[in-house]
Amino acid sequence: MNEVILKLKNFSLSYKTRKGILEAVKNADFELKKGETLAIVGESGCGKSSLARGIMRLFPRNLEKVSGEIYLNGEEILSLDEESYRKNIRWSKISMVFQGAMNSLNPVLKVVYQVAEPLMVHMKIDKETAFKKAKEILSLVGISESFSERYPFELSGGMKQRVVIAMALITNPQIVILDEPTSALDIITQANIMNLLKLLKKEFNLSYIFITHDIATASELADRVAVMYAGEIVEISPAESFYYKPAHGYTMMLLNSVPTLKIDKKLRSIPGTPPSLISPPKACRFHPRCQFVMDICKIKEPPMFKKDEEHFAKCYIGESHE
Amino acid sequence: MNNNEVLLKIENLRVWFEIRKRMLSQPLYVRAVDGINFELKKGESISLVGESGSGKTTLGKTIIRLYEPTSGKIYFDGIDITNLNSKDLKWYRKETGLIQQDPFGALPSHFTVYRILEEPLLIHKIGTVEERRKRIFKALEDVKLTPVEDFSSKYPHMLSGGQMQRVVIARSLIMRPKLIIADEPVSMLDASVRIEILDLLKELQDKFHMSLIYITHDLATVRMFSNWIFIMYAGNLVERALTNELLNNPLHPYTKALLSAIPDPDPENRKKLREVPPGEPPNLINPPPGCRFAPRCQYAMEICNTEPQEIEVQSKHWVKCWLFNK
Ligand SMILES: Nc1ncnc2c1ncn2[C@@H]1O[C@H](COP(=O)(O)OP(=O)(O)OP(=O)(O)O)[C@@H](O)[C@H]1O
Ligand SMILES: Nc1ncnc2c1ncn2[C@@H]1O[C@H](COP(=O)(O)OP(=O)(O)OP(=O)(O)O)[C@@H](O)[C@H]1O
Ligand SMILES: [Mg+2]
Ligand SMILES: [Mg+2]
Repeated sequence: MNEVILKLKNFSLSYKTRKGILEAVKNADFELKKGETLAIVGESGCGKSSLARGIMRLFPRNLEKVSGEIYLNGEEILSLDEESYRKNIRWSKISMVFQGAMNSLNPVLKVVYQVAEPLMVHMKIDKETAFKKAKEILSLVGISESFSERYPFELSGGMKQRVVIAMALITNPQIVILDEPTSALDIITQANIMNLLKLLKKEFNLSYIFITHDIATASELADRVAVMYAGEIVEISPAESFYYKPAHGYTMMLLNSVPTLKIDKKLRSIPGTPPSLISPPKACRFHPRCQFVMDICKIKEPPMFKKDEEHFAKCYIGESHE
Repeated sequence: MNNNEVLLKIENLRVWFEIRKRMLSQPLYVRAVDGINFELKKGESISLVGESGSGKTTLGKTIIRLYEPTSGKIYFDGIDITNLNSKDLKWYRKETGLIQQDPFGALPSHFTVYRILEEPLLIHKIGTVEERRKRIFKALEDVKLTPVEDFSSKYPHMLSGGQMQRVVIARSLIMRPKLIIADEPVSMLDASVRIEILDLLKELQDKFHMSLIYITHDLATVRMFSNWIFIMYAGNLVERALTNELLNNPLHPYTKALLSAIPDPDPENRKKLREVPPGEPPNLINPPPGCRFAPRCQYAMEICNTEPQEIEVQSKHWVKCWLFNK
């Protein structure tokens, strides 16, 4: 479990927009170990999906710039030419369940066909073999033979989500990026899918990058949690520290806004508005909204402080400084 | 205005989708909504909660008449709107608003955010250019898409999932309808923005005396929000009660399972599997003959093979289950 499988160094990504350059991801730095789940949490629009698609090297047309390094099993892959990336990495080593994917299944194609498609398209495997593999993987995610011959509208939401997960697994990847895989499902179905993801992870020793805005759901899978704010990873730590000893002002306030049914606490939303990524706040990007703000937060960008074993946060709270 | 006036009344509503496996083969029917009754008063809100595929969206879209009912009646403000001609439909569309569930498919890709919000104002010939601009900017601010200028000229594909969702919300509120169907309006938003958007909906609801049907699977937020909770399973409403009553005294076995499945943020969760009722929700083409939850229910009895009637167990608390049908 200590072998590093994926490593990002100073990974940044920006888009061209009419109002200027929008920096969606800035200097992301983290490691993912074999068999580990790293959850990425953060508010809407903070750059989670951009980071995920960036790792897959799926960029929109208005990409301004991508920079930094990505290592897969020690090999740098951001500088690979597109041809070799497509052949050797995307889908075959790193695959992804896209946000909202279960609603974009093709309504006129049978489920088994859609699951087999990545094999046929990305890996040029013949139809017969691909269909056989598709049926295997569908049964593994809990969809029986008879359902694989059906069309998406004949499936429940939970089953559609299983299909989408099957599509990401059929190429036998080592890393699966899950972008909000359950946010459209009811909680019983959600729990079912979480159980499935846990079993699959064990069975194939998969590493997950699990993107969610839902703090409770994150705890279903996360070994470690990275918190993103305004394009930056501002805290990264083992799951226990994230839930019980958050170190960044944003993380603390985020946890206060999470409702639980069991404890009747006063929920507090984070005041102020999400920052512009075209001209983000200076120094600490969270300072205009932070209830713990100090003078230094407004003038000097905080470095990543080591708060504890494996626990880092870009925040001055608890640090001595001049 | 009289607070006890009924705005919406639904009687025995059924919505079945006809499908054919092949051309000319016998049609099959997906019984997405199958015999639903309720009333909604002016200014009140209902949270509609239920499993994926239970018919919540179908019910919502039928209420605002994007779908035709198969049978039953819908009354809005005392008027039978079950079968409207196209002229009256235009009026009805202005009185009602839908916040669509899947924001990825809900926005026209060739319009900017500004134009998307202007569209309903143009259709209903509202305001001057300048008045419309003010209203659009205010709507964007309300849903926290700020700085407004960063967003108004963007096209949908340049927005994150949660940002698209907020454009959908802004568009449906811009006409200030009397009834809003909010179909999973905040499913892609983080807890903090979620609270703000729900607060906004609530504020607008009070201010303009709107009624609201809030479709959601997020039981943790319904308490701060709605008067009623309705629980839907496989095309039926299986339980209806006032919010606190339902959360404190759930009766239907499905409701109980649902409430106990709510995850709490706890890093221990990852070390174990969750307990869930066995099996899948039924196929709505061929649902079980009696109670539709019976095949998954730990309390199932012989009699559950016949359909239970909805009964009022206590004042304003209805349940459709044989356990209570003595
Ligand atoms: N193609 C694009 N062009 C311009 N801006 C974009 C583009 N795609 C995304 N953005 C912007 O980049 C920022 C990050 O978007 P991203 O989709 O990564 O957010 P997210 O964290 O996944 O949010 P959510 O939780 O709402 O899905 C947002 O402010 C968004 O508006
Ligand atoms: N146009 C259609 N034709 C055929 N079947 C349909 C159609 N629209 C929906 N259905 C089916 O009707 C049932 C109810 O669907 P609906 O979308 O109303 O569920 P829902 O409760 O909103 O689910 P979710 O929580 O996943 O959004 C499902 O089985 C669905 O597959
Ligand atoms: Mg996203
Ligand atoms: Mg729906």
